Amino acid sequence: MGSRVAESKPVLRLDVRDVASVPMTVTIGERSEPAADHPAIFDVDGLNVHYGDFHAVKDVSLQIRKNEITALIGPSGCGKSTVLRCFNRMNDLIEIARVSGSIRYHGVDLYGSEVDPVQVRRHIGMVFQKPNPFPKSIYDNVAFGPKIAGFEGSMDDLVEEALTKAALWDEVKDKLDGSAYALSGGQQQRLCIARAIATSPDVVLMDEPASALDPIATLRIEDLMQGLKEDYSIVIVTHNMQQAARVSDRTAFFTVDMEQTGQRTGVLVEFDETSKIFTNPGETRTEDYITGRFG
Amino acid sequence: MTELRPHFHDELAQLEGDLVLMGEQATAMIRDSVAALAAGDVAAAAEVIERDDPVDDLYLGVHSRWLETMALQTPVAIDLRLMSVILHVNSHLERIADLAVTVAKITQASNGLPHDPTMVSHLQEMGEIVASMVRAAMEAFAARDLTAALSLPEMDRPVNRLNRNMVREVARLAGDPELLEWGVRMMVVARTLERAGDNAVDVAEQLAFLLTGEFREFTDASHHD
Ligand SMILES: Nc1ncnc2c1ncn2[C@@H]1O[C@H](COP(=O)(O)OP(=O)(O)OP(=O)(O)O)[C@@H](O)[C@H]1O
Ligand SMILES: [Mg+2]
Repeated sequence: MGSRVAESKPVLRLDVRDVASVPMTVTIGERSEPAADHPAIFDVDGLNVHYGDFHAVKDVSLQIRKNEITALIGPSGCGKSTVLRCFNRMNDLIEIARVSGSIRYHGVDLYGSEVDPVQVRRHIGMVFQKPNPFPKSIYDNVAFGPKIAGFEGSMDDLVEEALTKAALWDEVKDKLDGSAYALSGGQQQRLCIARAIATSPDVVLMDEPASALDPIATLRIEDLMQGLKEDYSIVIVTHNMQQAARVSDRTAFFTVDMEQTGQRTGVLVEFDETSKIFTNPGETRTEDYITGRFG
Repeated sequence: MTELRPHFHDELAQLEGDLVLMGEQATAMIRDSVAALAAGDVAAAAEVIERDDPVDDLYLGVHSRWLETMALQTPVAIDLRLMSVILHVNSHLERIADLAVTVAKITQASNGLPHDPTMVSHLQEMGEIVASMVRAAMEAFAARDLTAALSLPEMDRPVNRLNRNMVREVARLAGDPELLEWGVRMMVVARTLERAGDNAVDVAEQLAFLLTGEFREFTDASHHD
């Protein structure tokens, strides 16, 4: 990693396509064999997060794989958002947050001293629970990120492509100059998704992206995610277990453990293929939670 | 533990309760149909046939409530597997009752024909075992007892053997046309009881799936020995 860094300012030097295609094209199996696991993009090992003295998340290890949707589920306060924020170093913005353990992103230590969190967030986009478009036009919302990143191609094409991928183009193509605030909640959320993917990120993180939306808008976002995973890897936090079951390839179930100190700490109980989690989970605690035998 | 879906889990328990009822009725129908056959009691056979309607009613009731529960509750994990098992066990039990009806109808149709006491005793033995298999499978289900479920193929073995021996026994009757006609019908009875036994094994297979999450057939249920 160190030798790759040429500029004086620490920068996450990663051409994602490069990195992904070199060491990770493991084997091209015979056609008859089942597809190999997608390569891991994030390799989380022994992750711990503290907020001051509070141990919010304890010893989490899991992998996020390329072109997959990974769902994080579990009761309120178990640390889903905390873990999600570790993936793009958003916790850096919380002064009292302290992250330890290792998160490797394409093999690179994400929390290494030479890594620039701003660069990280360029590769790893985020969509929040409440749609949060900028107070600008629809067009500018999408164009903003690429402009900052120094995008030099046709901005019109890029805006159209991002809006199309976000399944919003047909609804807004005649009012691109109109305010983003004039859109419905579901449209605003899709605009935020378009904004997140306009910078061609590697990963899109979503924290309860559909919780403020009606069922139809929710299904649209879910459908959209299936299309997006062709190009991106997605990590989604959701309270809606059926949503996790519908959209994700893998599910991580977190819960809250009562520590001896009386503190409530988030732990990862089980991480497996979603179909396994929802038909035959390995852990009783997972089963109790997803079947509603949990309080 | 707090129960967050009490209504749903009550409904699951009620569906299972109906299956227990069906299992008891199907067991009794197998036993009584063979008893009617052994006694040549046409009225008792008719009575067995009448008892199929209540079983069908239970079957249809479970089926329609199952659909509703599935649509409204989107079960997962152990609940999902239990739902799948309920649907299968429901039809296996309904089938067992139907097979008892088949035995009863053959009894009616064979009225007046001579019979062979050895074959009758073999059919009685088969009926006994099959009835106890259905009961054992349902008890294992109620107790979530995997070991008991796994013992069903063992119980099924003598049923298969008795069924296979029927051909030889019928061959002994070849000299007497009337006796032979009766014997051929009894071969069908044996085959019918053997299938009822297979359905009991299938119920046990379902229980194993419920408990382990993996479906595998108890291979020697219907073939081999
Ligand atoms: N900025 C913060 N400062 C202090 N404590 C925090 C902060 N953010 C989260 N926590 C605590 O960390 C724990 C995990 O919070 P987190 O938001 O990750 O949970 P969550 O699983 O996302 O919950 P929810 O489902 O309610 O969104 C909670 O106990 C929370 O109070
Ligand atoms: Mg959260």
